[in-house]
Amino acid sequence: MMKLEKYLEVLPKSLWVFACNSGSCNGCDIEIVATISPRYDIERFGMKLVGTPKHADVLLVTGPVTRFMKPKLERIYAQIPDPKVVMVIGNCGCSGDVFYKSYNLVGPVDNVIPVDVYVHGCPPRPEAIIEGAAKAVLKLEEMKKQLLQGAAEAPAVVKAGAE
Amino acid sequence: MASENVSTYKLPIGPVHVGLKEPITAWLDIDGEKIVNATIRPGAIHRGIEFMARDRNPIQVISLSERICGICSFSHVTCFVRAVENVADIPVPSRAQYIRALVLELERLHSHILWAGVACYSIGYDSAFHLGMLLREKVMDVLEAFTGNRVNYGMGTVGGVRWDVTSEVDKTVREMVSFYRNEFDAFYDVVTEDPIAKARMRGVGVLTREEAIRYCALGPTARASGIRCDLRWSAPYEAYGDMDIKPIVPQDYYGKAYGDVFDRFLVRVLEVYQSLDIIENVMDGLPEGPLMWEPKLPKLLAHLKKADGMGWGAIEAPRGDDTHVVRLTGGQENVTWWKVRAPTYANAVSWPLMFRNNELADAPLIINSVDPCISCMERMLITDRSSDAKQVVSKAELLEKCREKTRRLMQS
Amino acid sequence: MPCRKDYVKESKDPHEVVACITEKFEKDVSIDIFREQKAGIKNETQFYEVWLTITRERFLELIDQLFEFDFLHFHITSGNDDGDVVTLYYHFSLFRVAEQGKRLGMTVGVAVPKEDLVMPSLFDRIPGIEYSEREIREMLGVDFDGLPNKALVFLPEDWDQTIKPWRRDETGPGPEVVRELS
Repeated sequence: MMKLEKYLEVLPKSLWVFACNSGSCNGCDIEIVATISPRYDIERFGMKLVGTPKHADVLLVTGPVTRFMKPKLERIYAQIPDPKVVMVIGNCGCSGDVFYKSYNLVGPVDNVIPVDVYVHGCPPRPEAIIEGAAKAVLKLEEMKKQLLQGAAEAPAVVKAGAE
Repeated sequence: MASENVSTYKLPIGPVHVGLKEPITAWLDIDGEKIVNATIRPGAIHRGIEFMARDRNPIQVISLSERICGICSFSHVTCFVRAVENVADIPVPSRAQYIRALVLELERLHSHILWAGVACYSIGYDSAFHLGMLLREKVMDVLEAFTGNRVNYGMGTVGGVRWDVTSEVDKTVREMVSFYRNEFDAFYDVVTEDPIAKARMRGVGVLTREEAIRYCALGPTARASGIRCDLRWSAPYEAYGDMDIKPIVPQDYYGKAYGDVFDRFLVRVLEVYQSLDIIENVMDGLPEGPLMWEPKLPKLLAHLKKADGMGWGAIEAPRGDDTHVVRLTGGQENVTWWKVRAPTYANAVSWPLMFRNNELADAPLIINSVDPCISCMERMLITDRSSDAKQVVSKAELLEKCREKTRRLMQS
Repeated sequence: MPCRKDYVKESKDPHEVVACITEKFEKDVSIDIFREQKAGIKNETQFYEVWLTITRERFLELIDQLFEFDFLHFHITSGNDDGDVVTLYYHFSLFRVAEQGKRLGMTVGVAVPKEDLVMPSLFDRIPGIEYSEREIREMLGVDFDGLPNKALVFLPEDWDQTIKPWRRDETGPGPEVVRELS
């Protein structure tokens, strides 16, 4: 039987992206939409927005995370299969920015889930989002390598589980 | 309604949804494919902005009000500064009034085109969505050339605006107007002439005139129901005082207002043409003069510190009228209290009415039809009350359902 | 109970509206602000705005009087914690679809004493007021008599409902609730 990690080698380099608004002003969200539209056309790199986190490699998070959205964001993060990369789009998700003091915010995003790529700007330009996505690819390849190495170093555990 | 042995299903949509611009939860009671009742639960992105404003002075609140909504950011800024100008009795120079009207109309253009594109996307008409988004980039370029930003322009300030219309900007804006006059017809035709698009939108999500009045619907949602309301007409502000603007209602064009999604589409698309006319008027009538009442910030802040009283700003944002109320207390630097009512706040009240007796496949379209301020539905949970069995339908499946209906119509 | 279901076609002069209200309610009403809104190159008056305060006892009577003029289009309720009282401001529009430039902004202020934080609900007259009344209920703790659905609108389900975010007294959000991001 083939080991599960073996499939990582055939993991495609095109990223599937899931976007979650955790309380942003939509400014970043429409820039994400602009990124997939013909002018910036991120689909030429094989990236596309998907409708469910279970199909995604990358999670885009915007906004400073409200109390209401915190458990939802955690659940979305848990549903994305490993290896995964989290990108924060926009200043308020990165640091809180103008929303620095409130009774209903639990952010910034790295307070709730681990973050790999920060894209700054309020909102960031589509070009900046594409640059962030390029960094996410590098990060994902790194993770893939580590996972494969980890599998090579501890084959006994995996084998026990597989049989 | 369901009898004892026939159960209705309770179906949450949201809070995270690809077709929505704002995380919002809608609980739908469905009987088979039919929606019997709907409950809306907002609150996913309540950031407590009004509470934050208490620690900031009016100039600082401007950047906060700009980030209430990234699509109609300048509308919120204008509304807020108008309220403050009311309290402090600050007259706005006429050139600044015209520039405000210009940016408001540019914003309306990009917002309406974005909405029309997203509406096409939710019925599975992807080519129209991409066409719409491509057309929208033109106005985004103009906004960027003018203000330096694509979104959250940083244009408004108390007593005026911060950037001037230069001869280059004038040229770009006029070029944009003629571009849309030539190109936008194509988009209008591919959607309104398309029998499938019409079949998906006509008769769906109806809000009658009487309901629209009682539930205080606003903007294009109310106008699609036949209410002749437009603050630019009934309570002119800024440069609109010099213009003759007529509210756009479907009965003037098609003889009758149905109040359905198609009418909302029509009103918005026709308003794009109206905005082009207004932009041209603004550019032609642009008076000379200063940009700000008081360009020196410390002096302005000192004046605002002395101001005491309450002000109310109400302007016609792309989605309907936007209301800001501000209270300043003499001797205090900060805003004492501030209340914001974004147009969707009022339009969401009439959502449950629009859902009634519609098919589940139309739900994403109906939610989008009032142009709620984008984010996304991730999955929904179908709970069968009788057996407590749970079946999870993903958001992808619901959108597929919405698109499947289009395919069905195409075959028949 | 007002039976008006549609907007009127003809507007009334704002001075006439105000005179009518002061005549009927005499000392129970006070006109706080009567503002002309100017715009355009000639800086001409475009429309008017009236702010008035009414006692809680005669609030419904005033609303019914306003319904005599036109269907009251509801904008929003704002409010503040003013020490012993919570002041609510109801923002309405009259003559919204009547004629060009005839909209009359009408704000009705009511002081609600803190020992008895109840207001009559306007839900049966204007169903569109629902969210606003629920919001004021969770933010300022003012209860609405006659409002059918009193569920939370903006605050999360696990919110401690004894904390009222907009209040400035001991029921307001303390430092343990307010977070500073970064």
